Amino acid sequence: MHDTKPEITISFGPCLPIAAMGLLLSGCVGRQSALAPAGHDAEQISNLFWVMTAGASIIWALVLGTALAATLGLFKNPTRLTPNILIVGGGVVFPTVILGILLIFGLRLLPNWQSEPDRLQIHVHGEQWWWRVVYRAPDQIEPVISANEIHLPAGQAVEFVLTSADVIHSFWIPSIGGKLDMIPGRTTRLLLEATRPGVYRGVCAEYCGTSHAKMAFAVVVHEPKDFNAWLEDRTSDPNIGTDDPGRKIFLSSGCAACHRIRGLTEIGSVGPDLSHIGSRRTIGAGIAENTPKNLARWITDPAHMKPAVQMPAYRALPPEDIAAIARFLSNLN
Amino acid sequence: MTNHLQKEVKRETGEGTDLWRVILAPTIWAVHFLVCYVGAAIYCEKAGRMADLLPVRLIVGTATFIALAGLAAVFISLWKVRGLSSVNDDYNYAGNTPEERHRFLSHVALMLCVLSGVAILYAAFPALVLEVCR
Amino acid sequence: MKNEMAHRHGPDQDDPRIRAAQEARLSKAWETHGGWRYWSSVNNSEVGIWYIVTAFGFMLFAGVLGLLIRTQLAVPDNEFLSAETYNQVFTLHGTAMMFLFAVPIFEAVAILILPALLGTRDLPFPRLSAFGYWCFLIGGIFVCGSIFFNAAPSGGWFMYPPLTTKQGGIGADIWLLGLSFIEVASIAAAVELIVGVLKCRPPGMHINLTPLYGWYVLIVGGMILFAFPPLIAGDFLFEMERAFDWPFFDPERGGDPLLWQHLFWIFGHPEVYIIFLPSIALLAMIVPTFAGRPIAGYSWIVLSALGTGFLSFGLWVHHMFATGLPSISLGFFSAASEAVAIPTGIQIFVFIATLMLGKVVRSVPMLFALGALAIFVAGGLTGVMVAVAPFDFQAHDSYFIVAHLHYTLFGGMLFPLVAGIYYYYPLMTGYMMSRRLGVWAFWLMFAGFNICFLPMHLTGMLGMPRRVFTYPEDLGWNTLNLVSTIGAFVFAAGFLVFVFDALRPKSHAEKASRNPWKAGTVEWALELPPRSWGARTIPHIESRYPAWDDHSFMRRYDEGRFYLPDAEEGRREALVTSVLDAQPVQCMRVAGPTWITLATALCLAGVFIFATYHWWTATFISGLLTLCSIVYWLWTGTGEHPEKDEKAIGMGMTAQLYISGPRATGWWAMFITMTGDLTAFLGLIFGYFFFWTVHDQFPPPDIDGPGWTWPLAAGLLLCGSWVLTYGARLWNARGDMLLFRMALLAAVLLALAGIGALVMGPLAHRMDPTAHAYPAIVWALVLWTGAHAAAGVIMQLYCLAASFAGRLTPKYDTDIWNVALYWHFMAFTVFATTLVIGGFPLVS
Repeated sequence: MHDTKPEITISFGPCLPIAAMGLLLSGCVGRQSALAPAGHDAEQISNLFWVMTAGASIIWALVLGTALAATLGLFKNPTRLTPNILIVGGGVVFPTVILGILLIFGLRLLPNWQSEPDRLQIHVHGEQWWWRVVYRAPDQIEPVISANEIHLPAGQAVEFVLTSADVIHSFWIPSIGGKLDMIPGRTTRLLLEATRPGVYRGVCAEYCGTSHAKMAFAVVVHEPKDFNAWLEDRTSDPNIGTDDPGRKIFLSSGCAACHRIRGLTEIGSVGPDLSHIGSRRTIGAGIAENTPKNLARWITDPAHMKPAVQMPAYRALPPEDIAAIARFLSNLN
Repeated sequence: MTNHLQKEVKRETGEGTDLWRVILAPTIWAVHFLVCYVGAAIYCEKAGRMADLLPVRLIVGTATFIALAGLAAVFISLWKVRGLSSVNDDYNYAGNTPEERHRFLSHVALMLCVLSGVAILYAAFPALVLEVCR
Repeated sequence: MKNEMAHRHGPDQDDPRIRAAQEARLSKAWETHGGWRYWSSVNNSEVGIWYIVTAFGFMLFAGVLGLLIRTQLAVPDNEFLSAETYNQVFTLHGTAMMFLFAVPIFEAVAILILPALLGTRDLPFPRLSAFGYWCFLIGGIFVCGSIFFNAAPSGGWFMYPPLTTKQGGIGADIWLLGLSFIEVASIAAAVELIVGVLKCRPPGMHINLTPLYGWYVLIVGGMILFAFPPLIAGDFLFEMERAFDWPFFDPERGGDPLLWQHLFWIFGHPEVYIIFLPSIALLAMIVPTFAGRPIAGYSWIVLSALGTGFLSFGLWVHHMFATGLPSISLGFFSAASEAVAIPTGIQIFVFIATLMLGKVVRSVPMLFALGALAIFVAGGLTGVMVAVAPFDFQAHDSYFIVAHLHYTLFGGMLFPLVAGIYYYYPLMTGYMMSRRLGVWAFWLMFAGFNICFLPMHLTGMLGMPRRVFTYPEDLGWNTLNLVSTIGAFVFAAGFLVFVFDALRPKSHAEKASRNPWKAGTVEWALELPPRSWGARTIPHIESRYPAWDDHSFMRRYDEGRFYLPDAEEGRREALVTSVLDAQPVQCMRVAGPTWITLATALCLAGVFIFATYHWWTATFISGLLTLCSIVYWLWTGTGEHPEKDEKAIGMGMTAQLYISGPRATGWWAMFITMTGDLTAFLGLIFGYFFFWTVHDQFPPPDIDGPGWTWPLAAGLLLCGSWVLTYGARLWNARGDMLLFRMALLAAVLLALAGIGALVMGPLAHRMDPTAHAYPAIVWALVLWTGAHAAAGVIMQLYCLAASFAGRLTPKYDTDIWNVALYWHFMAFTVFATTLVIGGFPLVS
């Protein structure tokens, strides 16, 4: 009547063995996988997931097994008490106990922390469809402004201060921890601790309009000392080739009206900060590899790569000018 | 309202355990739940996310105590009227008399007391575990 | 009296010629018109079929959208659909599945089969069902049609502001107004079904003998009353923001986007159970039939359905676990979300216990029931997982949730529904559906479903967010997505087999014999193929499974030996009984075919559709026409004075033909409607205090409030109107016509003055609703209360007119009873509004 259905979440999908191995070897294909944790929260949640999945699979098999056996008439001469035992035991007592334990277990993993002054704060401001990032280290006077890429020290808790400029976004780095919404008019705070250096990927998890799918960012987790060096580096101006032809075109084409480059132009604040864009891994908020060619494609027609993006297309510029801007930007680091 | 009409109304809503009494226990759960949630939400919104949860834990504790006491009262009053079915001596209540209907509703109400009790206890757990408004 | 004696002894029922004459009269009274007049039908058997076919039509449409989604996501970086189109497609897929299929199909099936399950001939308000149907049809076409003009909503089925309040175009307005219109239909259906279960059970059917389906319908109807109105309140605020820039959700002017999320999910989570419970209810009818024994734990089912109904209102924040609310709030909702699994589990174990005790007959409905169980239990278990808030931080808005919700909805709703269609098909059409095709349909659907949605759990855990129009190729999601897409098409193939089987010409199909499944419940006493009158006679019920328990039941039923076997006056009649013990209280004449329902729905559609385009004059005219048609409907079609006071209804009983007050169905309908209305109002009050919690100072010190004098005056005047309306009812009952009319007239004047005073509060203090959320919410409360008071004035005038026309007399006083009831609720609304807008600023 009814064949054996695969388990609820196990043994289906070709990637699972990899993911399961990933759990064991702490390394997986997923740069964006909640099952290949590289953070404190992600690890706890991933363990919780496996325990719950195993438990759920067993319960599913038991319930369905009983139902199937009942349908096929395998219970010989059940007494009048059998159904009551089944309903009271299976329907009342067992779930009450299991769910109670699960509830308490889950409650203990809820955020239950106080802000501390000596903690690194990273302010992430969501906009359609990119991320404004500002680092505020406790011993640092000047905040470091960046965009679309987040650097973290391994083994240190970082407080993310999340806000939004326009609509609701949600800040999510699956490899490191759970997500938290960014809501206009509100400030939400998330405490995350990365544990394993590497490069990961975060995304916007709340539907935020046309290019919601194109709102991601790279996450780079460093060893603490490398992180400090990186942050130190970001407090200084990038190398700007003074005689770079791209520099002149950048300024004359109006790019500076929206984009800031530290030490060159401080007017623009509408678009992402480009100060050290040459050192970033991706462009367009995590949607393409950072190569001069991709940069040129982006400048020519950003909407082709990210529908409804606010940045205008610069198709009118001669391709060689665009290439020059792209080269100029690629060298900013 | 005339006497005749009153009788009619009485017949409409029934005597003994009626529909309203059946939902008494879950209503206690609902009130308890709202008191806890609204109390905590207002407190944490007004006191800030750094605030200690102690006042909320006290509110939840008191509310839980009152709610469980209320449930116990309902439970006891229902325990008195409960009974097995008048026709077939089980909890099926398939008989066709007002008395049977009365027993049936009392039984359902009694079991809802248990369910509401569990739900109320569950709702008190967070106050046991959490310490700050984060 | 002679006639009554004849009925008591019932000799005439022995005579086949007399029975044939009765059947002829019944047939004439319940005749369905042919030709174009067919569409003026209001009887549940026609409206129910239209409703089901329409809902499945929208489901197929939304299903095609689902296939478009899966096609787009089959491969990474796909350009099959543009981002904008994709967003419209997924928004409409969710919207149509939820609002145009899942909820309406419950109403549709209930309208169709509930009278049969209760052994009666129609629901208490057939025209209301028909009106609801037309609203649903027009609203649904309006919402779905928008995609063909590239104007469909694209903000997600949850419409979160500020994305949707900032969006240009009319997509969001179509969503809001189209769905508000359909919510009208839902509430109409809830009123109809609650009153149906409470007041139209056959004599002898004590509430503990009610078929479980009836219990579920009652509970779900109650849930609709408390779940839909907050969304209506939310829609009201939302549309005021979109149309008139009242900043309820705009943080720059004191609003808060989270208010919408609360209002939406206070509706949205109970809605999941509103969808789920009626389908499980079908299983509660199917499982005992095929197990060949009564359900093993009737009171367990009632308990768990009631418990689920309540607990489902404590879950809404679990849709907001990632919004950064305090952990303690998440904890409460996590607790309730876990607790709700207990009653849900009980229902499943009752079904299993029933199967265990019985000897199960294999059939297509049972196959679907077991498939439903397999899928739903999986969905329920993943539900328990996501109820653990920290886990939800990862799973939320990922494909894990997409998988979870489809498991619960397919397992908890679609599969049981299809089982129910296979089960009740013969009862409604007289034909059996094909067993062979049914097995094919099942396995294709079951396999396709699991191939599609099982991998999604993993896709989500690997980090794929929801509502993305495409994804990069290097994140390990490609194979999983391709597999899901294949599964979706396999499922679609299975579903088409089912649709084909249901719709194919029946010339070769097997004719159903009577009670083809050998069921025990009363609906299977109907003759097959079904007759226009439905029940041959309204039976006297003595057990839950009369066809099993009483061997003479069918014979006596066919011989018309119970109630109302005849239609002596050529009228459509049904019995109204008491709530708990089902004692007959009235022989109710229900309405026959009429066009007024369609006309009223069209006028109301005008209001909503013109408002979408901001054509205010046309909107206003439509509103006026709607009012006129409703008054016409009430004046010509209700409160009829019967030709005699009572009539013999068979089995030696007589029943009154006219009753009013709490015994009558109309009073209950008003009570239930106003309960829903009150809930919507409380949604607005919630909004006011929500603003208070999120602001440091509320009302803001720099904005003038309405003061306390005008609100106080308004409160006193409107309460005066209430007292006079109540007094009018009593004076009318005493036969004091002059006092009655004077009181009503004074009530009208006081109410009008009260409305004026209410508006004067914010007006005199120059409160600008576009400046800040505070004046906006005050105006919203004033507008709501004022509009309700205006409706109350129209009702008072109606009663006054009815009194002068001789329609409202001390004996026939149902109108003033119901209007007085309306004003009881009105008094509370006035009290709360004036206290909040006038009193709260004094103490805050």
